[in-house]
Amino acid sequence: MSVKEGLTKALYIARKDMRVYYLKAPNFTYGLLMPVALYLAFSAAGNLNPGTLISGLVSLVVLFGSTSIEAVAVVMEKTNGTLERLLAAPVSCFDILFGKALAGFMLGPMTAVVVLVPVTIISNTSVANPLAVFVAIAVSSFTFAALGILVSVYAKWIPEAQMYSNFLRFPMAFLGGAFIPVETMPSLLQIISRLLPLTYSIEAMKEGMANTSVTGTYLLDISILVFFSIIIMIVSTKMLEKRLS
Amino acid sequence: MTITTSAIIATDLLKKYGSLKAVNGVSFTVGKGSIFGLLGPNGAGKTTTIRIMTGLTKSDSGSVSILGHDIKTDMIEAKKKIGIVPEASNIYEEMTAEQNLIFAAELYGVPSKERKKRAVELLTDFELAERSHDLVVGFSRGMKRRLTIACGMVHRPEVLFLDEPTTGLDVQSALALREQIRKLNKEGTTILLTTHYLEEADQLCDTIAMINRGKIVALDKPENLKASVTGSRVIELSFSGQVTEADLASIKDVIEVHRAGDKLRLIVGDAEDIIGEISDFARSRKLNITTIHTLKPSLEDAFLKITGLNPEDATKDKEPPKPRRNDG
Repeated sequence: MSVKEGLTKALYIARKDMRVYYLKAPNFTYGLLMPVALYLAFSAAGNLNPGTLISGLVSLVVLFGSTSIEAVAVVMEKTNGTLERLLAAPVSCFDILFGKALAGFMLGPMTAVVVLVPVTIISNTSVANPLAVFVAIAVSSFTFAALGILVSVYAKWIPEAQMYSNFLRFPMAFLGGAFIPVETMPSLLQIISRLLPLTYSIEAMKEGMANTSVTGTYLLDISILVFFSIIIMIVSTKMLEKRLS
Repeated sequence: MTITTSAIIATDLLKKYGSLKAVNGVSFTVGKGSIFGLLGPNGAGKTTTIRIMTGLTKSDSGSVSILGHDIKTDMIEAKKKIGIVPEASNIYEEMTAEQNLIFAAELYGVPSKERKKRAVELLTDFELAERSHDLVVGFSRGMKRRLTIACGMVHRPEVLFLDEPTTGLDVQSALALREQIRKLNKEGTTILLTTHYLEEADQLCDTIAMINRGKIVALDKPENLKASVTGSRVIELSFSGQVTEADLASIKDVIEVHRAGDKLRLIVGDAEDIIGEISDFARSRKLNITTIHTLKPSLEDAFLKITGLNPEDATKDKEPPKPRRNDG
């Protein structure tokens, strides 16, 4: 099967997933309401500058939004028996999961814009490089969607998938620099934070909001997020292929 | 790809789950344009065999060739040639009937101009045209079943795998589906089906493989399988009073006794005076024979004899599949 054929089928799967899963309740509760509520509670108690606040909030919305849809996307197909239909079709396991990740990837920027636009207007904050911020949102969105896929391929039931997702999301939210700047953390926690994709997502967004030109830190952050995406997608595909044997 | 007159060649398939050999050395060939039936009780290995042949499960050893494409090494090309209708309906309930069919067509690479046309044709053939724009979530079980089958056919596969196709369908829908299967076969589609309905297999299949405990125990044309029943005569009868299978088994020349509703079914030897012996038995018990028919052995008789099952086990096997859990 050619790359074009595989990509075309992945897009059909993404469109189908958007139709089937976008309006599911967990996408609103976990994807939008929870990160906003969490952030408002912590920002009220802390003394964060608007740039840090907005980049942290947007990254959290993208993290929760993209992982929420993807954590249920594969596991729901398992419980409904529809995953077998995809596996029986002439589509590779990678293209199936890539299509699913695309659906989560497209949800991320939508929810991020819903949060970003009103927050920047209310806080009277300017975005120095909107394109760089958008690229950071898009790349983060794919990375987090891939992370949701990994959880979903592993889990057997939806509650199990949500449990694993939260197990990943909440430590990331606290250690990724959304509430507490990474530089102020103890050195051991700083090392751990450097292993988390959210850290790079927040950092890239901060860079895009503060600098009109693309910085080296921004490029490194984006590269690391792409690297995370590739590794997670490969591991998820291997796990799905193993399921067939 | 090699030119072949066989649509499916399964060679020495082995699949183990722990120490259990779910499929143990299964080999058979399905000719192009034929209808092949795979019969067996629950847990016999039918579904695992189909899953291996369709690439949904990998065998531990052995090979499957679909129209010259190896399912392990040339999986995508092999999958393009086949359609699969699983035992449990697996359609997207959040999408309409037409959207489900078009999505299936997209996955199998049906040209964009053809998708809608084929979807409309199949919805009409399966009497779902009036509900084509309704979400599947509101469909009855039979309607979902029909739509699942239509999804398996939308890309006009050269080989179609049907796992218990008529389970869950009403009589009218089952008859319509059998007609559809015959029509597809006439048009050249090779069909491999599993069914619990032996009468259905008898009516549809050119060749039948009986599978039990992971092994093929018989492989032949339905008429040859029926002729293989020792004694080649079946007597179905009922008495005015209570008679057990053990009572009848004591009659000379009776080989096997099965209960079939309020009647008893005897497989007997070639003894000429078997009717006289049954009459003597009834007289000695002060019973009247209410009905008596001499029949040719059916495929069911052959199935029971070959698999060594008793009819109660076979009946258990006819339970409809449990609906899948839906957390959505």
